[in-house]
Amino acid sequence: MSNPQFTHWRLDYDLDQVCWLTLDRAGESSNSLSREVMLELVEIVTELENNHPRGLVLQSGKNKSFIVGADVREFDQVSSVAEAEGFIREVHDVFDRVEALPFPTAVIIEGYCLGGGLELALCFDYRIAANIDQTRLGFPEVRLGIYPGFGGSARSTRQIGGFQAMQIMLTGRMLRAHQAKGLGLVDQLVGPHGGLRWAARRAVLSGKKSRKPGLVARLSNSGTARKFLAGQMRKQTAAKANPAHYPAPFELIDAWEAFGNDPRKMLNEEAVRIAQLINGDTSQGLRRVFRLMEGLKTNGKDSGFKARRVHVIGAGVMGGDIAAWCVLQGLEVTLQDREMKYIEPALKRARKLFARRLKTPDRIAGAVSRLIPDVNGEGAARADVIIEAIFENLEAKQTLFQSLETRAKPGAILATNTSAIPLKEIAAVLENPKRLIGLHFFNPVAKMPLVEVVYDSSTEPEEIDRGSAFCNQINRFPLPVLSSPGFLVNRVLAQYMLKAFQIHRERGIAKEAIDAAAEQFGMPMGPVELADTVGLDVGLGVMNTLGGSDAAADAEVLKSYVDQGKLGKKSGEGFYKWKKGRAEKDRSAAEDINLESLGKELLQPYFEECQACLADEIVKDMDAVDAGMIFGTGFAPFRGGPLHYLEQINKSPEGQEHE
Amino acid sequence: MSNQLRRIAVIGGSRIPFCRSNSIYANKTNLDMLSASIQGLVDRFGLDGEQIDEVVAGAVTSHSKDWNLAREALLSTSLSPLTPGITLQQACGTSLQSAMMIGAKIATGQIDCGIAAGADTTSDPPITFGRKFAQRLVKAGAARSGKQRMQAFKGFRPSELKPVLPANGEPRTGMSMGQHCERMVREWNIPREAQDQLAMESHRKAARAYDEGVFDELVMPWGGVTRDNNIRADSNIEKLGKLRTVFSKSPDATLTAGNSTPLTDGAAAVLLASEEWAAAHDLPVQAWLTASRTSAVDFVNDEGLLMAPTVAVSEMLQRTGLSLQDFDYYEIHEAFAAQVLCTLAAWESEDYCRERLGLDAALGSIDRSKMNIHGSSLAVGHPFAATGARIVGNLAQIIANAGSGRGLISVCTAGGMGVAAILEKD
Repeated sequence: MSNPQFTHWRLDYDLDQVCWLTLDRAGESSNSLSREVMLELVEIVTELENNHPRGLVLQSGKNKSFIVGADVREFDQVSSVAEAEGFIREVHDVFDRVEALPFPTAVIIEGYCLGGGLELALCFDYRIAANIDQTRLGFPEVRLGIYPGFGGSARSTRQIGGFQAMQIMLTGRMLRAHQAKGLGLVDQLVGPHGGLRWAARRAVLSGKKSRKPGLVARLSNSGTARKFLAGQMRKQTAAKANPAHYPAPFELIDAWEAFGNDPRKMLNEEAVRIAQLINGDTSQGLRRVFRLMEGLKTNGKDSGFKARRVHVIGAGVMGGDIAAWCVLQGLEVTLQDREMKYIEPALKRARKLFARRLKTPDRIAGAVSRLIPDVNGEGAARADVIIEAIFENLEAKQTLFQSLETRAKPGAILATNTSAIPLKEIAAVLENPKRLIGLHFFNPVAKMPLVEVVYDSSTEPEEIDRGSAFCNQINRFPLPVLSSPGFLVNRVLAQYMLKAFQIHRERGIAKEAIDAAAEQFGMPMGPVELADTVGLDVGLGVMNTLGGSDAAADAEVLKSYVDQGKLGKKSGEGFYKWKKGRAEKDRSAAEDINLESLGKELLQPYFEECQACLADEIVKDMDAVDAGMIFGTGFAPFRGGPLHYLEQINKSPEGQEHE
Repeated sequence: MSNQLRRIAVIGGSRIPFCRSNSIYANKTNLDMLSASIQGLVDRFGLDGEQIDEVVAGAVTSHSKDWNLAREALLSTSLSPLTPGITLQQACGTSLQSAMMIGAKIATGQIDCGIAAGADTTSDPPITFGRKFAQRLVKAGAARSGKQRMQAFKGFRPSELKPVLPANGEPRTGMSMGQHCERMVREWNIPREAQDQLAMESHRKAARAYDEGVFDELVMPWGGVTRDNNIRADSNIEKLGKLRTVFSKSPDATLTAGNSTPLTDGAAAVLLASEEWAAAHDLPVQAWLTASRTSAVDFVNDEGLLMAPTVAVSEMLQRTGLSLQDFDYYEIHEAFAAQVLCTLAAWESEDYCRERLGLDAALGSIDRSKMNIHGSSLAVGHPFAATGARIVGNLAQIIANAGSGRGLISVCTAGGMGVAAILEKD
């Protein structure tokens, strides 16, 4: 049999005349379905159609990684809806041909099998997955503002039933191997000590086919079921995402409701709807967010720094949660505070986090064993990273760091989580002040992926890299920020919240209206609710540092709340009354108000401050500002970031009118 | 092959943290742990894709499906699949014996490198049917007709379904190791306080070793665990004194959970090679394996079950011409604190050394400050087949860190055997 050479694929024929098709994308560390890869696939399928092998097995040439999806970078090169639709139909065509190959086909899945990779796998007769920790299957497309467009919406609903398939596509959640097998996405699991190659060979030689979905699964694709379920799905999705901002999941629900029992029609819907979505603002914005995230992750990538042990001083809300997060990432952490009774609450919170995230008792027990209470601070001498998270007092921090400097390992990172005290002042007392950096985490640590890596003019650049590398190691996004009041995120938020207080105080506009206006713009939470969540005492501190003279009146208001013990969410009342972690809002107060124009007013200082930060070179560039505000505050991701949004509206005719 | 014997280099060891049985490693198998410890060695010494001449490894509590354990374990690592794996088992002496056998082949030039390893888990015991029911199943499987199949179950009683758990004791005596050790205690008069003291020291030394970073190169975090979870840094005599005895109800009993090793899950591996292979791979030699000896005692006829190391060490010293005091370090496996103390008492006893060991005089005392300086099995735990490799890796690291020195290894095993070895470096 002929064995032509391809750039990204390899065909090998074995003793049984089974064709082993390996995807090993040239020049990339992981496989993604770029145009080039797909064009070669077309040639390969033609070859297989003309010369039937005994069977076909698809596998990845990348170590423990199958196919992570389409090549997102290429989405931006699509210039028109027609072009997008054309490309999608071409992919549909070649995938259809793979599905129609007249001999047994099987696919071996190890590692990430996402999006287009899973869609391609669904074209095969039999799917075998390696039951190892690295294996994940899923459809993350909604996170990029589209939905599975390479046949995924048609094939997954047919394979495992509409209800389960839609859940996976709407949430973008990633399944482990055994979960995928349970749902029927995968037909066979092979353990870590098993032979994938031999399982695939057996499957192909005996012509194994995937099991058809069960009765319940098939019924969920029926007309009446779809109508009912679609309504439920719309409600659930709308609770999490505004259809005006995030159209993709709703497009998927519409398509499935109309055509869920007809795979061919579902394919057609994909081509039409996704071509539209891809060119839309939301998808462009979300793709930008994805790129910004990748950008943040490149910080510190040249540093070889890797930590094994972390020492955290201060077991308060931040310190305790930073310690727990590091433990969750596999590190050993010693947590220090004055007495055991200050550490206990942090340990309790940590255990809850471990139980939620790790689920199985042995992994939870492992995590518990890695979080070590350390009243005497013995861990400081052994740690690779030392993070100070004590109360905001300059003398206390100076004394602490002076002591740490003498005890710490020569190569250890010394970092402070301070939000308010300038780095230079803490570092002033050190023998080697260039060593100190800030690692400013956000609350809650387990949900906010951003860490501001704070430096000043004298900081050793290598320390910034090492700090960034550490952030990547613990799966947080590092953003190098120049030491200055509020750094980036708090500086912008302060102006944003100040404006909200002013509007509320001066014009008597209800706090519910203010929050609703911000949410309508796309913020995850309005400024008043945010102030309550952060804590009015913290807010007061920030106001005093950053607010300037304009803030005097509002600082007074905050102070009066704080003096009354109304600290916000944590004390049960602030601006709002809080019950069971939710603010009690009087929705009627938001009626009769032009939320759109109020929203613009609220966001204006936010944008202006972002521009000021850029001008002051607090961070590297516009992308860094946008990345910081998206990952540090949840700024409407679908808008692609505050500065990007400004750029877009200034480009559009509507925006130019306002000028 | 030349007639010249070559020196045996110990390049170094690697192990996963040990955990008390049915704790954090409850869902791990011998295969998982053994391949993890071998992979740890691969990662430590850059052996990715490398073909090793032999991997010799085993497990004591083993499933019948793991009949080819060493080979299967290495196939799950990133070593070249052209590496052979030999499954070997000698109770608690397993991985030390593996190291000795690999060493002998290196010395004679038959191989240039080898990995000795061992794993054990008592959280995953091989539970089987009793022989009677198993025989019925075999007959039923061979049956040609429904009638024959029925015949296989003639006289079946539900009690035949009672599962057989692996016995934790000597098949011939019907007694557990701990019960045998209590007998040794009576013979050698070892007070409870001395046992508790030894146990406490083992815990404290191990905890301190972790704190000083001594184990950083030797123990690779795995399965979410970063250090052996049996170690009690705050171990003290009072707490140990309060524990009740576990192997005997008699008022003279002395063995407790505190001064006996716990049931443990874990695995360890160690890399040995010829001088040339080490040089060719740019790997420094931590120590040389210069002597070894295996012995056995007649425990069925009342010799102390765990006394065999006294014989092994004695014979080894005679053959090398060294005295018991000619060592900088002693790594004596702590199956029970009592067993270590009985061993030391035996070496100090004129009568025992003359009558049993055939020597002219007592071997003498050792300097206790040189014994198990980073703690041993009582603290870190004792996954049976892993202990040998743990000790070899541990001692080699100690000698390498000191720059030079000579260490004595002594390991007792079930079935009344003992394994001893010497590691040294100038």
